[in-house]
Amino acid sequence: MTAAVDIQSVTKVFNEGAAAVAAFGPGDLRVEAGEFVSLLGPSGCGKSTLLLMVAGLLESSSGAITVKGRRVSGPRTDIGIMFQDSTLVPWRTVRGNIELQLELRNLDVRGYEDRIRSLLQQVNLEDFAASAPYELSGGMRQRAAFCQALVHDPDTLLLDEPLGKLDAMTRESIRRDLQNLWLDKKQTVLLVTHSIEEAVQLSNRVVVISPRPGRIEKILEIDLPWPRDLATKNSSRFSEYVMEIQLIFQRYGVI
Amino acid sequence: MIPGLLEKLGQWFSRSWMFMCFFAGFFLFWEYSIGWFDVPRYILPRPTEIITKSAADIDRLLYYTWVTGSESFTGYIIAIVIAVPLGLAIAFSSILRRTIYPFFVSVEMVPKIAFAPLFISWLGFGFLPKIIIVFLVCFFPIVLNAILAFSSLSEELTRFCSATGATRTRAFLKVRLPAALPQCFVGFKYGAINATVGATIAEFIGSDQGLGFYIQIVTGNMRPDLAFAAIFMLTALGLFLFGLVTLAERLLVPWHISQRRNK
Repeated sequence: MTAAVDIQSVTKVFNEGAAAVAAFGPGDLRVEAGEFVSLLGPSGCGKSTLLLMVAGLLESSSGAITVKGRRVSGPRTDIGIMFQDSTLVPWRTVRGNIELQLELRNLDVRGYEDRIRSLLQQVNLEDFAASAPYELSGGMRQRAAFCQALVHDPDTLLLDEPLGKLDAMTRESIRRDLQNLWLDKKQTVLLVTHSIEEAVQLSNRVVVISPRPGRIEKILEIDLPWPRDLATKNSSRFSEYVMEIQLIFQRYGVI
Repeated sequence: MIPGLLEKLGQWFSRSWMFMCFFAGFFLFWEYSIGWFDVPRYILPRPTEIITKSAADIDRLLYYTWVTGSESFTGYIIAIVIAVPLGLAIAFSSILRRTIYPFFVSVEMVPKIAFAPLFISWLGFGFLPKIIIVFLVCFFPIVLNAILAFSSLSEELTRFCSATGATRTRAFLKVRLPAALPQCFVGFKYGAINATVGATIAEFIGSDQGLGFYIQIVTGNMRPDLAFAAIFMLTALGLFLFGLVTLAERLLVPWHISQRRNK
């Protein structure tokens, strides 16, 4: 079976000659269809760079990436992406922003009305469809951005620190929403994060990336039952996983 | 409808009463300090005198307001019509960015008004040299802001557009253009402020009608009251033009942070 995402000896070097900065790699990673994989590392370790290369929005310096068996050679339009900063535009409502994804893809918005309604319901935004993004709290905006990234129903999702700028409580509740969305559809997910807890809670596998240049240090299989709620997070096995990763970063002097 | 209107008036008043008091205070001080300090009226007239004396010459004042107004408006509109597409082209063309753009930035440093006598000598006293001078003082702020507007889409939104596979036209109409509007309006506002300045100075230099021409004539005749009346007209003209731009901005970019009202 072909992997959903296959990363083979990929590197990324910014600039050339004396000013060259090795940002990532070389690294290999194989993600199976329906898997939730986190790329976990300190800031500046090249994990976002790797994600952009998978999306085809950034060219790799060497190596090859295939998504669903097809080599990535330019922006991939058959996936869903969520960026670090919001892509909600201020001149459209929440619903309008979700529709923007469809309109840019030249899809017929009328065919997606039920889909939009159910997405908004799943993230508790059904009463805010007509609100402008700036009228919402940070957490609500991020939920709306999820709907925008998911509306065209992609089977592969690339999420670049979607919860990075939120407060701890909001993050907790959006993680739950994200998990439910995934459990519902079982898309292939690549999540970039710098939160150890978040990676362990949400993923099948956690890819631990070392700082500068980013290399894949270790891949941990997280064997915990779904859905993973607060009780799971209080379990001793959860803490063991967290500890194991913390020790790796401690060795690198990151924490 | 009437209660709604009254409520709006009330809101407006509660927002601006301090300004209105200051404004009234300014004119009261002017009116009475002329007497206190014994200022001769051929130096500085009272506001009430300006109004009563200029009433006799209102036909000419209104006609000249029309003349200066149409010069300002025509030059300004031509500047917008040329500057926005040009700014767009410069933002998207690397050749134009390396040639015309630095040229415009350096020309921006040249006081455009210095060209005014040349245009008058080349083209005479008519409408055309005035329009060219208004165009020159409006064009640069508009084109420079348009370039900035069209070349500063966030990296996220640029990537978002490419990830959807949208065509350039579609991405432009749905994302780039609306995102550029607030910065474009910064240029439109600067242009609107400059327009009447350009027209007035052009008329100072060589003209046989218009408010700038009028101010020179009446000042020579020791009639500062009439000069002030013309200045009031120019102020009204400037406010009108600026008001039009602000209204257009409110209609086209109601979502921008500067336009949001607390609900």
